Amino acid sequence: MDFLANLSQGFGVALNPWNLVFAAIGAVIGTAIGVLPGLGPPATVALLLPVTYKMDPASAIIMLAGIFYGAMYGGSTTSILLNIPGEAASVVTCLDGYKMARQGRAGAALGISAMGSFIAGTVSVFGMSLVAPSLASFALKFGPAEYFSLVLLGLMMAVYLSEESIVKGLAMGGLGLLLGTVGIDPVLGATRFTFGISRLLDGFDFVVVAMGLFGISEVLINLEAPEIRDVFKTSFKGLLPTREDWRRCWASVVRGSLLGFFIGVLPGGGAIISSFISYAVEKRVSKHPEQFGKGAIEGVAGPESANNAASTSSFIPLLTLGIPGNATIAMIFVALMIHGIRPGPLMLQEYPKLFWGVIASMYIGNVMLLGLNLPLIGMWVRLLTVPYHYLAVVVVVICVIGAYSVKSAVFDVGAMVVFGVVGYLMRKGGFPPAPLILAMILGPMLERSLQQSLISSGGSLVIFIEKPISAVLLAVAAFLILTPVLRRLWGKQKPGVAVEGSGG
Amino acid sequence: MKNMSDVLGSLFLFLLGIGALIGAIRLTVGSPTEPQPGFFPFVAGMILIVFSTIIFLQGWLGRSKEKVAFGEITRPAMLLGVMVVLVAILDRVGYVIGTFIASGLILWILGAKSWRVLILTSLCLSMGTYILFDKLLGVDLPVGFLARFGL
Repeated sequence: MDFLANLSQGFGVALNPWNLVFAAIGAVIGTAIGVLPGLGPPATVALLLPVTYKMDPASAIIMLAGIFYGAMYGGSTTSILLNIPGEAASVVTCLDGYKMARQGRAGAALGISAMGSFIAGTVSVFGMSLVAPSLASFALKFGPAEYFSLVLLGLMMAVYLSEESIVKGLAMGGLGLLLGTVGIDPVLGATRFTFGISRLLDGFDFVVVAMGLFGISEVLINLEAPEIRDVFKTSFKGLLPTREDWRRCWASVVRGSLLGFFIGVLPGGGAIISSFISYAVEKRVSKHPEQFGKGAIEGVAGPESANNAASTSSFIPLLTLGIPGNATIAMIFVALMIHGIRPGPLMLQEYPKLFWGVIASMYIGNVMLLGLNLPLIGMWVRLLTVPYHYLAVVVVVICVIGAYSVKSAVFDVGAMVVFGVVGYLMRKGGFPPAPLILAMILGPMLERSLQQSLISSGGSLVIFIEKPISAVLLAVAAFLILTPVLRRLWGKQKPGVAVEGSGG
Repeated sequence: MKNMSDVLGSLFLFLLGIGALIGAIRLTVGSPTEPQPGFFPFVAGMILIVFSTIIFLQGWLGRSKEKVAFGEITRPAMLLGVMVVLVAILDRVGYVIGTFIASGLILWILGAKSWRVLILTSLCLSMGTYILFDKLLGVDLPVGFLARFGL
């Protein structure tokens, strides 16, 4: 009964006319940026943070959440019609979706990805409504040692799942932790690494760093290559998948939804990895694995369902544990902090309307997205014909506004440009930006829990192993980081055994 | 073959790590029982040093794949140039004029062909975003010298 009462309270918030408008705005913007290659969800959420300053916190998070899961819907359109992923979680959709389009089945591919996403999103929201409260009350029992291990695990997962090398991810985590120490020490109040610059007393602002690392650097990367967009011209008649299509792929949708949900719940898990795993699973369980890569509808249905389910369930670690699992969720974490709300186990007790309102808005958002995606497919395709320079100039201008708006200081705009160059060089060198921003956000939390644990244990590190939950979390973190080392050793002992998926 | 991007990148990170250690020691590191303000930066610096050393060795010994392949570099460089100029003039000329000039230049760099489209787009973008963010959303944007005219 609690569940229904909570959810009805959430629907009370989500059905507020303004919140419906913001959910729709989020869904439209999300679909648009999902469709457009060259601007990902983390950059868009970062770009829109200044818009949310004066908004009600629930409306702000409802809109930003809509962008995130809306992008998952939109991303498939570009993958299917252009063979270019609109965003990273739709990479695998290119494999079979584009082949389907070339076989004259673009409508079925787009239809199944939108419907699969809708089913998965709804399943995931339902699962979230059930799991989140129990997880939050469990996390209330966490002491500083457990929290330290949990945050560390979240960071290690982000490093492990980043597409580049794990060592580079760890180095970026170290850099993020270091950047997070700039400013006033959260425990003892000392000034650190400000070099006499008063603007740095509050540290580097996450908005400034995120806009540089994700917004400006993405524009710089995109400007390097000449713009080629060869939209596959096809008819969109018959967007509804046939009975035969459904017979072939209903199980893929169910598997993708469940897989995506569970991967999204893991700190560090998310849409990208879940779509890859779903594709691998579908290929393995299929009676016709040879059709994969040649236009198998299961290869679209599974991953598209998985990425949507994961994007929704990745809100669970944020809202219940206070751990942002990926870069987009990290930006939503920042949005909550801007409104003075600390995500974590207490959020459910302190801000139940916001918590359940966001969850309920996801149910509504999924319905909106289904309505937006299928009937308006022609409009989204036309969006792809807009030259990139218009998008680039808008991104730059909004980045300038966003950076300036933090403290009304041009200094922050300059810092954003510097971080833009840093992000550009990082991407060129294969250094993943996500662990940096996550470490920067989680750094102060990690520092506080580390110091509190050490003080309570009299300086003994054994405290992290003595506590069972902490020990398990640390063991998982160590396993994740040591896996590639073990794989390499194993590979050396058995030459000829290919290391699958090491490239991420 | 050496992977020069990893070698250079790791050297930069290594030096940053050394800098962090020096800074942390100056702040006083303390001990695990009594951590001082330098304790955590010391840990972060050590992480940077350890992993940048591994990246350096992998790059130097040619164990990592070369990732850097710069494409057409002129357009990104010119965009950065415009952004640096914008940072320099933003407070003086204000948001509307600054972004009008900057977006016009960016569109020109990126190959917008028609002057009419270029000017119109820049004007709409600078004025439109100013009205949306400053007037409607209450984000305080710089007015620059136009403040003298009471704007």
